[in-house]
Amino acid sequence: MSGGGAGVLHSEARVSVELQTPEMTLNIGPQHPSTHGVLRLVAKVDGERIESVEPVVGYMHRGYEKLAEVRTYPQLTALLNRIDWTAGLANEVPFVVAAERLMGVEVPERAQYIRVVLTEMFRISAHLLFLSSYPLELGASTPLMYALREREHVLDLIEGVTGGRFHPNFNRIGGVKPAAGGGKGQRSVAQDLPRGFLEQTRRAMAKVFEVCDDMEALVRGNEIFQQRTKGVGIIPVEKALEYGVSGPNLRGSGVRFDLRKVEDYLPYDRFDFEVPIGENGDCFDRYVVRLEEIRQAVRIVTQAVDGIPAGPLRARVPRVIKVPRGECYVRAENPKGEMGYYLVSMGGRGPYRVKIRSASFSNISVLPWLLEGALVPDIIAILGSLDFVLGDVDR
Amino acid sequence: MSAHEPGLRDLVSEAVASGVWSEEFGTVKLRVPRSEWVESHRALKGRLPFFSWLSAIDWAADVAVGDAPEPGEETAEEIEERFEVLSRISDVSSGDGLVLSTDLPKDDARLDSLTAVYAGADWHEREAAEMFGIDFVGHPNLAALYLPDGFEGHPLRKSYALLSRQVKPWPGDVDVEAAGGDET
Repeated sequence: MSGGGAGVLHSEARVSVELQTPEMTLNIGPQHPSTHGVLRLVAKVDGERIESVEPVVGYMHRGYEKLAEVRTYPQLTALLNRIDWTAGLANEVPFVVAAERLMGVEVPERAQYIRVVLTEMFRISAHLLFLSSYPLELGASTPLMYALREREHVLDLIEGVTGGRFHPNFNRIGGVKPAAGGGKGQRSVAQDLPRGFLEQTRRAMAKVFEVCDDMEALVRGNEIFQQRTKGVGIIPVEKALEYGVSGPNLRGSGVRFDLRKVEDYLPYDRFDFEVPIGENGDCFDRYVVRLEEIRQAVRIVTQAVDGIPAGPLRARVPRVIKVPRGECYVRAENPKGEMGYYLVSMGGRGPYRVKIRSASFSNISVLPWLLEGALVPDIIAILGSLDFVLGDVDR
Repeated sequence: MSAHEPGLRDLVSEAVASGVWSEEFGTVKLRVPRSEWVESHRALKGRLPFFSWLSAIDWAADVAVGDAPEPGEETAEEIEERFEVLSRISDVSSGDGLVLSTDLPKDDARLDSLTAVYAGADWHEREAAEMFGIDFVGHPNLAALYLPDGFEGHPLRKSYALLSRQVKPWPGDVDVEAAGGDET
């Protein structure tokens, strides 16, 4: 720093030191709080600028596609809800729907509504986690407390219904988990949703709505947050499509596309909700899209709870489930984006082949392109804004 | 399983003349010859710009397929030994999409890379390459994506036995589902 008087002393001596910025390889991860699991980035940097980045994945690879070939259909839901562990039940749904489609099973309405309610609750939970962790990665620790407090209410409701907070294993082929408890004699009386669930859900949803407003005031309008995220990590639409970037990341780039509007894996056409989009495709837009999506999910849950029909929880299916020969692809709008299963059955008790299309895999495959030319301090802002889960990348 | 715009099938039959269209359980599959794999994608990219995934199936005749059929059930017909490579592309307005499929002989598992058409095919092809041992010709960097250095074999081939299943058969003789305790 040159003070006021110091300028006189140095006026003749021009400093002409060329900064030496040889290319340097910077290793980020595998253990790093912003990587949401275990991801390693090998970055070649020139000073503060990134020349190239190579993500190294596979630390969480559990071989689900191979395991799926040696398990039976009922056993598989217990595995699949661990793919994206922030979205538990939402991972099970497209798989059981694929099997039901091949079997020609009609799922009772009440079960479908329960699937909708729980899927959207997991979406709220996953997005609230993002709303709390993303500002934290950028240095704001307060929003964490607000968002996680409401997330806890949602998780409690999920636990009340399914018995699990993260890995519900609640879907069955033909519906949802039937009677638990009551003993053998009362098995015909299926245990349904816990008493008071509908009323508590309405109350919790109102709270979630409020926390969205808090987040809006605390984070969205914050100048530091905006400076860190606006104009940073822009994904143009063509690049997003080519790389298969989906979900809120795609909508952040301004594409109004939501699988809940075009696919019929769950009866979303009966609910009134909007598909929020961004304008610029930067980190800020991806944040705002997720914030808005929580509000829309709250709308869906409220409508589903109000209109939930009475009836059985599970269609009649054989005790030993065999899925007839056939192939089909069922995809769903999960919190992270397009999640799908290409299921090939040869008529046995287990699949012949399952291709798992997970959203985060494609969402981070765009990283080498996206981070090229970015600044090192922006890495964390960009990584966080893509909101990936490494379990969902590696499967 | 969306209602397909009537235009898609016409466009496909025009753009990919050699493709064989089939539709079951709401999933459209277009079989194309191996030599026209890349060209078919290029012809459809304008209409279906979203690259969803790419993977393969190891069709193996000598492996028990699912469970042995019950007496009286129709027996599974002979499976032709081959790799089937699948890719799914779709659009982002109507939800239209299809699965492209091509067959590779097992003794010559090579296919032209899609990376020049869809950049997103990069990681998917790397995964399929290490899991099935398929060579994607023209891929810029066909290094292993998941498997550690020095890993031998291609895990998703049917001939690659899962170690834990060899040590201990499971679920074993006792079928938890058949043992009851469930509804229906």
